[in-house]
Amino acid sequence: MEKGEVEITSRIDSLKLIDPMIRPWPVTPPPSREEVKKIYAKRNAEEFGQWCEDNLSFETSFDKPEALQGVTVLVIGLWRMGSKFASSLLAEAGAEVIYIEPPTGDPMRYLTPFGREEYMLEDKKTGEKCGLDFIHEMRNKYSITLNIESEEGREIYKKLVSQADIVIEEYPPGYMDSLGIGYRQLSKLYPRLIYCWIGERGQWGPDKDKVSKWGQWMLEPFGQCYNGFVNNTGFPADQLPRGRGGDPTRSGVWFADYVAGEQAAVNILAALYWREEVSGEGQFIEVTAAEALLDILDMDLTWYGFNQSIKARTGSWDPNLNQYAWNPCKDGYMMIGGQSDRLWYRIGMCIEKDYPQFGRLICEDPKLKAVAARNALEALIKTYTLTSRWLRDLNRLEAEQKLLEYDIAAGPLLFIDEVCEFPHFKYRPWVYTTESEEYGTILYSVPPTNFQVRTPHRVKWLGRRLGRDNYEVYQKIGLGQTEVDELKGKGVI
Amino acid sequence: MEEKIRIEDLPGPKSKEELDEMKIPYEEFCKKIFDPGNEFSKPQALKGIRWMSCTMYIFTPHSVANLAELGAEVVKIEMPRMGDPMRHTSPFNEVYLYPLHDTRPTVGTGLGYTNANPNKYFITMDYHRPEMKEVFYRLVKISDGLTECYRPGTFDRWKQSYRYLQEINPRFIYVWGGGFGYGPKIFGGSYDILGQAHAGLASITGMPEFMGGYPVKHTNWAMDWYSGTLITFAILAALYWRRKTGLGTMIEFSQVQAATRILGYGVPLYGRFGIVRQRWGNWDTQLCVHGIILCGKSDYPDADNPQDREETRYVMVSAFQDADFKALCEVIGNKELYKKYKTHKDRVEAEAQVEIYAALERWAADKSRSEVVRILQDAGILAEPVKNMREVYESEHLRQRGTIRWLDDPTFGDVLVQGGYSTGLMSKTPRRVNWLWRPVGADNIKIYHEMLGYPLSTIKEWYEKAWI
Repeated sequence: MEKGEVEITSRIDSLKLIDPMIRPWPVTPPPSREEVKKIYAKRNAEEFGQWCEDNLSFETSFDKPEALQGVTVLVIGLWRMGSKFASSLLAEAGAEVIYIEPPTGDPMRYLTPFGREEYMLEDKKTGEKCGLDFIHEMRNKYSITLNIESEEGREIYKKLVSQADIVIEEYPPGYMDSLGIGYRQLSKLYPRLIYCWIGERGQWGPDKDKVSKWGQWMLEPFGQCYNGFVNNTGFPADQLPRGRGGDPTRSGVWFADYVAGEQAAVNILAALYWREEVSGEGQFIEVTAAEALLDILDMDLTWYGFNQSIKARTGSWDPNLNQYAWNPCKDGYMMIGGQSDRLWYRIGMCIEKDYPQFGRLICEDPKLKAVAARNALEALIKTYTLTSRWLRDLNRLEAEQKLLEYDIAAGPLLFIDEVCEFPHFKYRPWVYTTESEEYGTILYSVPPTNFQVRTPHRVKWLGRRLGRDNYEVYQKIGLGQTEVDELKGKGVI
Repeated sequence: MEEKIRIEDLPGPKSKEELDEMKIPYEEFCKKIFDPGNEFSKPQALKGIRWMSCTMYIFTPHSVANLAELGAEVVKIEMPRMGDPMRHTSPFNEVYLYPLHDTRPTVGTGLGYTNANPNKYFITMDYHRPEMKEVFYRLVKISDGLTECYRPGTFDRWKQSYRYLQEINPRFIYVWGGGFGYGPKIFGGSYDILGQAHAGLASITGMPEFMGGYPVKHTNWAMDWYSGTLITFAILAALYWRRKTGLGTMIEFSQVQAATRILGYGVPLYGRFGIVRQRWGNWDTQLCVHGIILCGKSDYPDADNPQDREETRYVMVSAFQDADFKALCEVIGNKELYKKYKTHKDRVEAEAQVEIYAALERWAADKSRSEVVRILQDAGILAEPVKNMREVYESEHLRQRGTIRWLDDPTFGDVLVQGGYSTGLMSKTPRRVNWLWRPVGADNIKIYHEMLGYPLSTIKEWYEKAWI
């Protein structure tokens, strides 16, 4: 099989993508500009479409300035994703981010799915292996090593902080304070410092973050479990048997950490704005995974306050919206959404063409006619039973084409290979490759904040050898090469 | 002459109070400096920023709600008399707060609207009316930015896209938030659930097929909320840059892409090795033991609510380091398991995980959730119950931190809220919630008359013609 010969119309076709002979990405080229112009023309938006491509496109992003140029961030923390994601966002926006690790490295460097070392990337120079989760989140960051448990290390740390606007810390509660280098001490030295602690549940309070008797940290999904998210996610036991899918379910990623990371970045920039614009003062910020995710659990808590309703699991259905779900089809799952009368009936018109019963049952059931009444449980069951019956004979892409003709928000549930090969995603692109000095060519997710007229956020490099920037960074606080080598010998750096 | 150094200029504590502050236990220090419950005596970070919110549903409203919680003045513009479609959304059609609008006292706003629109001012405007164009432009001239979520090209057709607005206000920061953005699927609509399905997140969440599972939706409109906050981040970065240059920008943000961003190793793994990451249920692909187990007995077997009676049976257990795993095997009386899987590399293998979690669930089969948690915690192992919403409400921890609290809302009275307060504690410019939301068009007079200076008679005329 040749590259470009694969046309993906169902899951069976996409399995061919695993063949090493037809990769690397992309297997098929993205649609051309000419083809896309025709799509803009369908709605008389050629001029606007062209304006967007000229002013917002990924290709132009490296021509433009960076929003946070001149802001320096120190990151010190292990294991978790919160401080990594927060600092990635700042680094993508142009801040100088220095990632401080102990001389042994962040343990996340050594994590790989199912312990498979063959799926880690090898440093071309040293031969050391590094896990992909770590590499993918090490965006535009410098790596230095420092042992803050030594007296000398702490003095060096204070000097580093003197050069920084922002510190993001993610150690167990009170640990940095007990070493004399927490917010309490540093803010006295540097009143302009913005200091952000990120954790799972808190650095104070009855359920603050714990470590085990043997020093193991609390990691995600402890955050998800604390705020109701896990309890509310998954299929109910009357849709799938308990222990066979009908259980509370965690997110496939360390989701609460990501949410904490982005809120930390927001709070940090708000504090920076206030410092620059108003006060000249820094401040202390604390963001936790459990709470930041609780913030975005819709009305669940307010609903409990209203009538003591405890939110239950509803699988891939939504108790607030009809239609708004993915349901099984011939080669996977198909997501269909449309709640207002206008959209809901259009979905009906589309289904009716192949499957007239859908239209007939609507006419016979008054409960399906009004927007709010369609959210009752029996109305959901009826709607989705009929929709799934229609989907049973269709592949995802067939269903998508039919629904898009009616302007319905619909899309297939895609596996990651299909995500990477999806035409729209390749066109913009939402995944792209970069060449790393250490690890070679890497496919990565492009920052969603990339598409901007003036200051797009971007990835300049991915991954970093442990301590690669020691000489350069320490030079800036007056430690020359010889001194750095000496400190390295003593285990301080 | 020797220069005299004043003690105030030296680093370190400067008064007895500051010295005492250095000595108190760390937790007390944190509590004192964050001082939950006292937010309203502190300044607001974004005071003076004014934002227009031409938003609907959750994703784009939330991007502006973050600004409003941080102190920006936000004007939300809705369709006359109807309002945001989210106002007509409520779980199982159960819960509404009244009224929706002054002409419709028997219709309410559904709880679906919660948290996405706190602290905003609510006005109405029919953008289609050419007569309203000047009003819209007047607002643009006195605002810092705008967020909108209409299909691409719609605002352009109405001559209110960034192309036009940058001419009348070069400092303007314009955000479009939607599903796809320019490109082949430009006109595709989007929702939270489409982001989850389309971007790969659903394909890695839920039980794998060999356990009988299906891809699972993240509960709530998780991708909408999460993407909205990323927009807020981009806005704040643009504001920072505007301080230097005086120039605004346009941000085109696709919510579907935001979910792809957090797939972690999934994308590079496919790119390099052609391996497609699959679902792994309640366990962790990179750490073991680090997963959720099912216990035999519920914690509240006699409770009326089935959520308490049937579901309080799950425990998150974490013992991936060698010493922790050894202790765990001892507690469950299965030392053989430890001998078999002594290193983390051994036990994180897929087959090993299946065997280990099965052994844990066998051990927990005759115990309740709280018994399992107590036994493991007493042994020094990390284990915590999976909480439901009642338990979240009753959490002493969250109450002390001020994360959840009752708000005496100016329109609706007592409502339980967490939004804003749970996004993080800030010692000097804490976020706050002034009100949950207000009825459709509640602030028409305040904005059109008091801010823009239109005569009351004109506003009345617009109102009667349903232009506002």
